[in-house]
Amino acid sequence: MMEDKLLIVGFKQGRREALRQIYDKYKVEMLKLAVVLLGEVNTAEDVVHDVFVKFAQSAHRFKLTGSLKSYLATSVVNRVRNCRRDRLRRGETGLETPDRFAASSRGPQQWAILDEQLVRLSDALRQLPYEQREVICCHMELDMTFREIAALQRASLNTIKGRYRYGLEKLRSLLNGEVTR
Amino acid sequence: MKPADDIRKLFKDAGLRVESSADEQVFEDMVQAQHGADENPKRVPDGWRRTMRNPITKIAIAAGIVIACTVGLFLWTGTGSGIALADVLTRIQQVSVYMYQMSGTASGQATTGTAIDQNVHATILLSQECGMKMTMEMTDPNGTTVTYHEQYILPHKKSMITIMPKHKKYMQIELDDTQLENIQKQNNDPGTMVKQILECERESLGKSTLDGIAVEGFRTTDPAYLGSMAGEVDARIWVDVKTQLPVRTEIDMQMGEMHMHAVAHDFEWNVSVDADEFEPVIPEDYTALSSTPLKMPATSEETALRGLRLAADLTGRYPEQLDVMTLTLYTEKLVTGDTPVAQKLRKNRAGLEREENIAKIAETIMPIQGIGIFYRFLTAERKDPAYYGEIVCPEDKELVLMRWKASDSEYRVIFGDLHAETVTAETLAELEAALPK
Repeated sequence: MMEDKLLIVGFKQGRREALRQIYDKYKVEMLKLAVVLLGEVNTAEDVVHDVFVKFAQSAHRFKLTGSLKSYLATSVVNRVRNCRRDRLRRGETGLETPDRFAASSRGPQQWAILDEQLVRLSDALRQLPYEQREVICCHMELDMTFREIAALQRASLNTIKGRYRYGLEKLRSLLNGEVTR
Repeated sequence: MKPADDIRKLFKDAGLRVESSADEQVFEDMVQAQHGADENPKRVPDGWRRTMRNPITKIAIAAGIVIACTVGLFLWTGTGSGIALADVLTRIQQVSVYMYQMSGTASGQATTGTAIDQNVHATILLSQECGMKMTMEMTDPNGTTVTYHEQYILPHKKSMITIMPKHKKYMQIELDDTQLENIQKQNNDPGTMVKQILECERESLGKSTLDGIAVEGFRTTDPAYLGSMAGEVDARIWVDVKTQLPVRTEIDMQMGEMHMHAVAHDFEWNVSVDADEFEPVIPEDYTALSSTPLKMPATSEETALRGLRLAADLTGRYPEQLDVMTLTLYTEKLVTGDTPVAQKLRKNRAGLEREENIAKIAETIMPIQGIGIFYRFLTAERKDPAYYGEIVCPEDKELVLMRWKASDSEYRVIFGDLHAETVTAETLAELEAALPK
């Protein structure tokens, strides 16, 4: 947090090194978040790429009110939602590629290489309704409180807790054998 | 265990890694976006990912690869990185003793204004157990030897010994554990170089042949390579494809008006040497520069403050940078230069016995070098140090001269008037925003 404030000062002054440090610090976390939210790695890479590029472009007007991690994570969540909305509008399901994570199906320009556990987790999460998936990912991956998630999803606290509980149950049954109660 | 703990663990354990060349391209897109923001704030660059997804681009690239491979049948020796640089570091660390030659030049003008034009040739013998032995010869442009000395770093004796045949002298400096560790980290051997390149943005230079050996090259021009020094760098390393050990390293550095070029070559790995080779042989007629071993200043804030105070008292300003070369030339100018301060110091030393004279000189040199030692320690320990000697003067009582991380939540700051405070990062951010650009 304190380090971030200094990095932001350097970033706003146009220092390449500060931008580099911010990028190095958060790229993996943001990629992981986008992958678990989308269940598809190519689009997740696009989303995170766009988030970082937009962030870099905002140097002069950037003003941080909370934490930098929250800012970037919220940007990822919002962009994932836009992405899903665009796809739904175009009638795409986003599930057309059977093996969405295999390196062999992704061409030479790969950015994120997922380990087996993340592939399995993303596959299972993809089978949950999106709202449940978002609640679980924000809570588990970003340590966001239910109240914060409620604000993000513009839903009541009870609705969020319900989405979390149902989502968790289904996830556990999907990952049967991977996790133990 | 809470009901969700198993799922949480799964989330935490699941991970990914990023592919370095794609990673660099994303970062370059960010840099372009940052710099292009003024000119066209509404435009978000498409970047490499969109470009690569474009089907027309894909076809064009595929065609290009076919053409390149066909045309290049007689020239192509392979592309891409067959060697992982991290493995090279492991291989070096597995070698118990090795030897190499180092040739270099330094030219131009130091930040202190001193003109430099010297050639260096050194033979370096490094042992995991016994330390380092280096013979170094410096010559001027006419080929006249300016300096010749042998230097030993002896971990078991916790000391650094330098023998100067030209003057029939030797000097022994005692090192504490931290200093010894720092010197070993910073002695710039090929292992250190690989380690530094690994921490920087880098590129593969592809495969080639060097002295009949199939090699693969790597390069970095990342300023992060220089650590605490400001300047430009171009470091290249060629690694034997078969043994995965370095064959040649080259480094060019431009720091202000000074240019340095160094080449390490003629590596001999796993050489057989006797431990006696690392025992300095001091002829009987050589005398010690100081009757007792000199002590390196402790690596501490107090040392840094003492050095900065001395610099301010003597010259009215602080060293511009804290790298070894800048500080060496800074102190050399104080000891042998023609400035009023140097003349005054010489006057003060006039008439002193040799031992006292050396002690007086050490009193000047050591604390000032101590600032650099402390700063390099902070850099090595990743304490996020910064130094603003170029823009902050002793009169600037509210400006940050130097800072480093003191704890997870606080920074230690030395101000222009040399008072020190521990502040929060928020406060430091405000203080640094007030620094003149």
